[in-house]
Amino acid sequence: MTASTKRIAVIVTASFLFALCASQLTRTHAASNPSEEIRVTFNRDLAPIIFRSCAPCHHPGEAGPFSLLTYGDAKSHARQIADVTQKRIMPPWLPEPGAFKFNDDLHLTPEEIALFKKWIDDGMTEGSPSDLPPAPRFNSGWHLGEPDLILHADSPFEVPASGSDVYWNFIFRPPLEKTRWIKAIEIRPGERRLVHHANLIVDRSQSARRQEKSPGSGFAGMELQIESETFDPDGHFLFWKPGTIPEPEPHDMALRLDPGNDLVLNAHLQPSGKAEKIRPAIGIYFTNEPATKFPLLLQLQNDRKLDIPAGEKNFVVTDEFELPQSVSLLAIYPHAHYLCRDMLAQAKFPGGETKTLLHISRWDLNWQAVFTYKVPVELPAGTKVSMRYTYDNSDANPANPNSPPQRVIAGNRATDEMAHLWLQVLPNSNATESGDPRRVLQEAISRHHVENNPGDFEAHYNLAVMLQLRGEFPQSIEHFKLALALRPGDATVENALGGAYFASGELPQAITHLSAAVHARPDYFDSQYNLGLAFANAGQFSQAIEHLRAAIQLRPQDADAEANLGGAFAAHGETKEAIAHLRRALELNPQHTLARENLETLLRDSPNP
Amino acid sequence: MFSANNCLARIRFLPVLFGAVFLSLACVSFASAQSGLSIEGKSVDPIKASQGKIAVLIFVRTDCPISNRYAPTLQKLSADFQANAKFWLVYPDKRTTPQQITEHLRQFHYSISALRDPAHSLAKFVSATITPEAAVFSAQGKLLYHGRIDNLYVDAGRARSAATTHELKDAIESAAFGKTRMPAFTPSVGCYISDLE
Repeated sequence: MTASTKRIAVIVTASFLFALCASQLTRTHAASNPSEEIRVTFNRDLAPIIFRSCAPCHHPGEAGPFSLLTYGDAKSHARQIADVTQKRIMPPWLPEPGAFKFNDDLHLTPEEIALFKKWIDDGMTEGSPSDLPPAPRFNSGWHLGEPDLILHADSPFEVPASGSDVYWNFIFRPPLEKTRWIKAIEIRPGERRLVHHANLIVDRSQSARRQEKSPGSGFAGMELQIESETFDPDGHFLFWKPGTIPEPEPHDMALRLDPGNDLVLNAHLQPSGKAEKIRPAIGIYFTNEPATKFPLLLQLQNDRKLDIPAGEKNFVVTDEFELPQSVSLLAIYPHAHYLCRDMLAQAKFPGGETKTLLHISRWDLNWQAVFTYKVPVELPAGTKVSMRYTYDNSDANPANPNSPPQRVIAGNRATDEMAHLWLQVLPNSNATESGDPRRVLQEAISRHHVENNPGDFEAHYNLAVMLQLRGEFPQSIEHFKLALALRPGDATVENALGGAYFASGELPQAITHLSAAVHARPDYFDSQYNLGLAFANAGQFSQAIEHLRAAIQLRPQDADAEANLGGAFAAHGETKEAIAHLRRALELNPQHTLARENLETLLRDSPNP
Repeated sequence: MFSANNCLARIRFLPVLFGAVFLSLACVSFASAQSGLSIEGKSVDPIKASQGKIAVLIFVRTDCPISNRYAPTLQKLSADFQANAKFWLVYPDKRTTPQQITEHLRQFHYSISALRDPAHSLAKFVSATITPEAAVFSAQGKLLYHGRIDNLYVDAGRARSAATTHELKDAIESAAFGKTRMPAFTPSVGCYISDLE
């Protein structure tokens, strides 16, 4: 077993008030030509916009605080609608129009916005019934039909009646017996008026469970840190915001889910004035087609530069990364907290041309979202992708969580800041040519972050893992050591460092660090397993048996642990025990070659154990 | 003839005079400029019904998320100042039924008296234009303050993590104890009452 890589998954989310949702209007109003000017009516002019862009959130059961489905609904909120659309508070859509188009663009055109005011000026007439388009129909059940697997949060969370926003994490434990491929997940967050947004993250090593006070209780926290067991990062955004209709993944990009994987839902909740319980559910749709394309989430970030003096209005943080190989950019997810005002993401192409990938001039944490490009943006090798975030830590920024303003640095709390930009990219090279093409990118970005910030724990750790996968053990050990120096005694790093020493054949050092990992966290399966294996390789079989037994206690269904325990017993001369465990390994995995070969050898050499 | 004319002139004058008096009386019993309707449908003048206390009117609607989010704040202010002030929730949406108001009070744990204001008499009386908006009257019925509750909302959809000014609380304290200055009118953020006409 190799050491693990670690990815920091960032989450965010929202408080909402009025949730209108919109896209582009294809119809232009006759009033654009003064000679044809006619009175704006609800049925002819507004209903098409409202049905398309507002009603998806403003209907019963959805996030919008009131319905916008009829003339009466619109009339009783007419000035409100004119006001919030004119101020671009509604529909909630952060990106400025730019070179690249996004799916589900909610941006209203100036002509559309003008119609709402003119309707009021014209007397808010209903218009001819024959002009009224069919009312939209919404599915109150699962959007993609009955899911193959429905999971409910173990326990509800009570959102308090008042106070500031709340961040809560729910852990779902899919009861899988074998690896499955997911083509879609529908997130049903519960009472939608309370949930501003939610992120679902795959936790392959059950690392989030350690944050629960009791199993199933869930836990507080705005940002999530998830450890991944092997280099197989979850390259998918699983994001929910009001009005979201789940989109199946492209058929060749299904998401892998293994037995024991957890799904963690990080939800941003806003008090409504009354205490209310929410209990989210997720519906999973499986496919039999395994993925053949594997996207990667590349993170640009420069949290180290975040040290914003109180009162500073124009604090800029930048990062730039040169792509070592060509990729298709599928989606983009900017993330900062409350002080950020302006976000700019750009690509500088090898030829010198610069294009804006995303520009948000009025960042609002409450309406953050993942933005998926209508057409993937092709970024050749050598392209420099950059981020430039501007922060306002003055009291003129109403979102400032501190009054009076305080010095703010990077951190996970809502009162801290962040400067992150996630890019979902698909490497444009064949996996069979040079191993997993994501490794090249992952190594390059980790090295970039280490150079940017020698104190970046995750960067050292991830770089070490990539180096180890390439067989560069001395360099790998060096970076694991640097990571360990940043977090002394961390069980995950001790285990990984021990694993690196083991892989490079340095057993005494391996045993030292793996023992430290076991000591730091006795219920850590990986470290018990690795330590058992290290002892076995060092010829210390009784210690090997002790730790492999401990590993099996933690994970009774693990065929590898059973096979190795069988091997350790065999080497220790306890043939009967050895055969029992090898048989158990084959029970768990009939294709386990090592267990079968060892068992055959044992049975041949001692037919009557 | 002259006397008849004089008499006519007086007779003409009297109905006008009487009319004015009659209308004024009618207001007290049916639809005064400063009355709303209780859940039971009775006309209530909240200033008189506050019985010597400061009267605090809060304009709300059941489907305004901003006024709803203020429920715990309003409930607390009403409890904190119960010795000096009487709070009233005023619902200006004529489509909102007494049953819906009762349900709204239950859901948001309000123990504040509610009034319907279907003709917007109270809203016009205090020039309220937004839900939520507060109006504070002295025990003598003088309008001392109207405007926002606090500065939690900067705009519809944009709230601070916590309010940093508290105009309604300041207004009540000023009216009750006279030690602090009465805040000036400050516009509220929320839903337009004029949308309900």
